[in-house]
Amino acid sequence: MGDKPIWEQIGSSFIQHYYQLFDNDRTQLGAIYIDASCLTWEGQQFQGKAAIVEKLSSLPVQKIQHSITAQDHQPTPDSCIISMVVGQLKADEDPIMGFHQMFLLKNINDAWVCTNDMFRLALHNFG
Amino acid sequence: MVRQGSCRDATPHTPYSTRRDKRRVKRQREGHIHITVWRERKTLRREMGENTQDGTPGSWFKITIPYGRKYDKTWLMNSIQSHCSVPFTPVDFHYVKNQARFFVQDAGTASALKDVSYKIWDEKNRKISIFVNPSTVPYSVRYKLEPEEMEQLKLTINKRYDVSQQALDLQSLRFDPDLVGHDIDMILNRRNCMAATLQIIEENHPELLSLNLSNNKLYGLDGLSDIIQMVPTVRILNLSKNELNLVWELNKMKGLDLEELWLEGNPLCDTFPDQPTYISAIKDCFPKLLRLDGQELSPPVITDTDTPCLIKPCKESYKGSDALKSLVLQFLQQYYLIYDSGDRRGLLDAYHEEACFSLAIPSSPEDPALSSLCEYFKESRNMKKPKEPSLCVQPLKHTKHNIVGSLCVLPKTQHDLSSFLVDMWFQTEKVLCFSVNGVFKEVEGKSQGSVRAFTRTFIATPASNSSLCIVNDELFVRDATPTETQSAFSNQEPTLTPSSVPTLSQEQQKMVHAFSTQSGMKLEWSQKCLQDNEWNYTRAGQVFTMLKNEGKIPEEAFKQIT
Repeated sequence: MGDKPIWEQIGSSFIQHYYQLFDNDRTQLGAIYIDASCLTWEGQQFQGKAAIVEKLSSLPVQKIQHSITAQDHQPTPDSCIISMVVGQLKADEDPIMGFHQMFLLKNINDAWVCTNDMFRLALHNFG
Repeated sequence: MVRQGSCRDATPHTPYSTRRDKRRVKRQREGHIHITVWRERKTLRREMGENTQDGTPGSWFKITIPYGRKYDKTWLMNSIQSHCSVPFTPVDFHYVKNQARFFVQDAGTASALKDVSYKIWDEKNRKISIFVNPSTVPYSVRYKLEPEEMEQLKLTINKRYDVSQQALDLQSLRFDPDLVGHDIDMILNRRNCMAATLQIIEENHPELLSLNLSNNKLYGLDGLSDIIQMVPTVRILNLSKNELNLVWELNKMKGLDLEELWLEGNPLCDTFPDQPTYISAIKDCFPKLLRLDGQELSPPVITDTDTPCLIKPCKESYKGSDALKSLVLQFLQQYYLIYDSGDRRGLLDAYHEEACFSLAIPSSPEDPALSSLCEYFKESRNMKKPKEPSLCVQPLKHTKHNIVGSLCVLPKTQHDLSSFLVDMWFQTEKVLCFSVNGVFKEVEGKSQGSVRAFTRTFIATPASNSSLCIVNDELFVRDATPTETQSAFSNQEPTLTPSSVPTLSQEQQKMVHAFSTQSGMKLEWSQKCLQDNEWNYTRAGQVFTMLKNEGKIPEEAFKQIT
């Protein structure tokens, strides 16, 4: 692990943590957002930790499972990290769908939180 | 008592002496050259023989354009040159009252220039006349520096040049110890000194970015204005603490795309009632200026894009003001225009110096080289061996040169802008983050014709000319699904050139034809203009006239005149 750049280490740990939380109990996701966070879910915007958790909790799915196809991390000039994830998810009994998600991570008080989150379903499956 | 006979003193009868004195005094006030002083210093040798730039004797001619003062120098000279049958080099271009004047060597050139008279029309449709007269050797040639002086000047200039900033500091050049020590009097206000300096800069530092001419007693900028042709890369100019007393002088420097200007300490600064008026006057002269006297100026408002290009509007879904929306759309249009053009080096301007770029593709569980997307890894020699077979990520590219180098090696593409789905998901006044989902086609190579789908995320900051500067760029490419492939490029025509679009109503068709006749533009372009202005004929006409006057409409938009 030591040869990976730091932003990749942080980014991939975050991604792993995020999807684990999401798939197991997404009401716990509040921990990674802050009050200034903003979520863009399929084009709709939600601002603030509470609104975000509410949106995610209220998604009409019981069971959800994410599988990551590719992830990419970059440092930004103001010491944030931008992470891009492309993958597939299975919700309840629906067919597998592709999705694409971006996170903007910031270090606040020694913890990495997500300040921006953008999610889009890919309208077609991946090959 | 009347003197008799004894008025035969050494000076000849000079009935006009009073006037001559006045003229000399006037010259002093304007900081013009004190020829008599100069002659005392230099030998008479200069007046004989070496009357030409290359040392051979020649005849000189003065070319005068009456009312030349009101024309932009670059436009004027280019117009004259384009009508002149012989190439010429103007020497000592300057203004005298309303006239523009310069010198040329050789009768043939002078005669060719005379023929240009009345051939050029200005924008008010008046003919420009050109007068040609024989003349004495122009000042900067007659008094050009000796080779040894040029050599020393070159050494001094090189010493004062900062390579890392591409900056040249010529403050108080006259008092430079090296020059003084060699008895070289660099009075930059004198044409010959300025010409020599510019020549050395052109030959040795042609990429100059920043020039400091502070404290050189400059009364006028005729001499400096030659820099526009000789060293056009200058973006930062310091003219502080000189003797410029009119903003009109600065007009002579308009040909430079200045970003930063220093003027404090010139008499002209005191002629303004307040700071905002001063700033406004300077900005009128240099619309792209960012900093004046060390102070940041509010960003310039530049209207419109360069060429009208017809694309179907992208589907967007984001919260953002209209201005941001069009900024991003415009950016994407320009970005992909270059990206698809076959030479991606133009993208260097779009990226920040320290930008980051990464590219990821999904790979098949087997050998990645078998994947049809393997072309995307061609240039990465140190690709990481994927830990999990489905992840294939290249090492991050850092700095704009590495990024663009990397982009240039990727397969040639054609993007379908009408397929773009743009998400703007974060914006402040300094940062903009948005993602683009869409499809593109590979147009050459072994995967020619393949349609790919991509997701690209940009983090950008607003840049100086109302465009964006990319700081982070993440690209993900995958094969398009059959459905995506089918619906891509459904309108067959390339999306970035004007093409006829969905059917127009009868009314609209009439408008297009009328507009085309009135404007002289081809039908498609007329249609585009009308569409852009929501079929408001008057407004479209105004926009068209404005763009045309700014020279922003490409030639191909106009109908051929048979």
